[in-house]
Amino acid sequence: MAAAALCCRGLCRTGWLPTLQIVRHAKSVTRHWKAMHFERQKLMAVTEYIAPKPEKCIAPRSKAVTEENGYAKLLRWQVTETFRDSKMIAVCQHNFTPSEEMLLMKHRLRKHNIHVKFFPNEIVRPYLSVSKYKNLLPLFVGCSLMLVSPEIKVKEMLRILKNVPQINLLGACIDNTILSNQGVINYSKLPAMAITQGQVVGTLSLMASQTCGLLQHSSAHLAALLDQYIKQQSGGAGETDGKAGEGQAELGPAKSSAGL
Amino acid sequence: MAVPKAAVVLRHVKSVMVRFCPFQTNVETTRIFLEHVNSKKARASNISCVVTTDVRHDGSEPVVDIMFADGDRLIMKGANLTAAEMLSAFNSRCIAKDLKAEEKTKKKGA
Repeated sequence: MAAAALCCRGLCRTGWLPTLQIVRHAKSVTRHWKAMHFERQKLMAVTEYIAPKPEKCIAPRSKAVTEENGYAKLLRWQVTETFRDSKMIAVCQHNFTPSEEMLLMKHRLRKHNIHVKFFPNEIVRPYLSVSKYKNLLPLFVGCSLMLVSPEIKVKEMLRILKNVPQINLLGACIDNTILSNQGVINYSKLPAMAITQGQVVGTLSLMASQTCGLLQHSSAHLAALLDQYIKQQSGGAGETDGKAGEGQAELGPAKSSAGL
Repeated sequence: MAVPKAAVVLRHVKSVMVRFCPFQTNVETTRIFLEHVNSKKARASNISCVVTTDVRHDGSEPVVDIMFADGDRLIMKGANLTAAEMLSAFNSRCIAKDLKAEEKTKKKGA
């Protein structure tokens, strides 16, 4: 303060002397809030940033079009082909399986023309949401694998999966029908198509074969009853044959003469 | 929510039973928990632990039933839980059992 007073006195009496330098001055970096120097305030006001208003912008910034990854295109094509060419598609939960067991399982399935496919969910889910397999969407969550085959060999697939406890069957789409785990097991227990067709034909023809017997039943029964009656009559009259036989013989010619 | 990278240790676990219906939409976290329980390190930590999976189609809620070796039982209904929560609940119990076992061995040693 004293130094500042000295400086002021100097200014008033002698003008601004370059040699007169302020030795003591207030600190520039203080712990309390300190107002900026007036010149600095003016400079800050002049150089203040004014953001551009949206109306003044000429054109909005266009986002660069990200090209699709070639590998993703390939995977999508493979998924489409797999779903198109397969009659049996089984979805399983894939937990960690040792590589030897995995290899063995793949080999056994390959013998029955069943292929093991892994696709990322990001590729499969958009395809499923658009296709007719929409109801399989909830299955493709987490780590999953698909067992696909152009033929339907459910029994063999279930037998092989029983030996691998780390792979859990969640559901399947067999012949355009979505089945649950239990549904697949029931499907495997069904008899072969030929046997089922034979059973249907046999059941239908059974009715037709019974009709003929039913129609003839009443007349056959009557004939049998009459036969039985005749036998009974002939059996009862057999005892008196010896006596009545002559009478009948006499009557016979008398009748015949009377007839003549 | 990111799943913690800490491995699942099945040292004190006797059996794990996971039941879920895969056609439901609230099954994701249970399936992720199942993957972690069936991971290589988890299986290596306890070979005698039995992990069973019950896949149903009856609209039931996903349930994880863990039986510990000392008779404790932990049942987690995964319909409204995240995988991280399930794993942290399971790990905290395993850590508590580890500490108990250590205390017992110290007492026996002393």
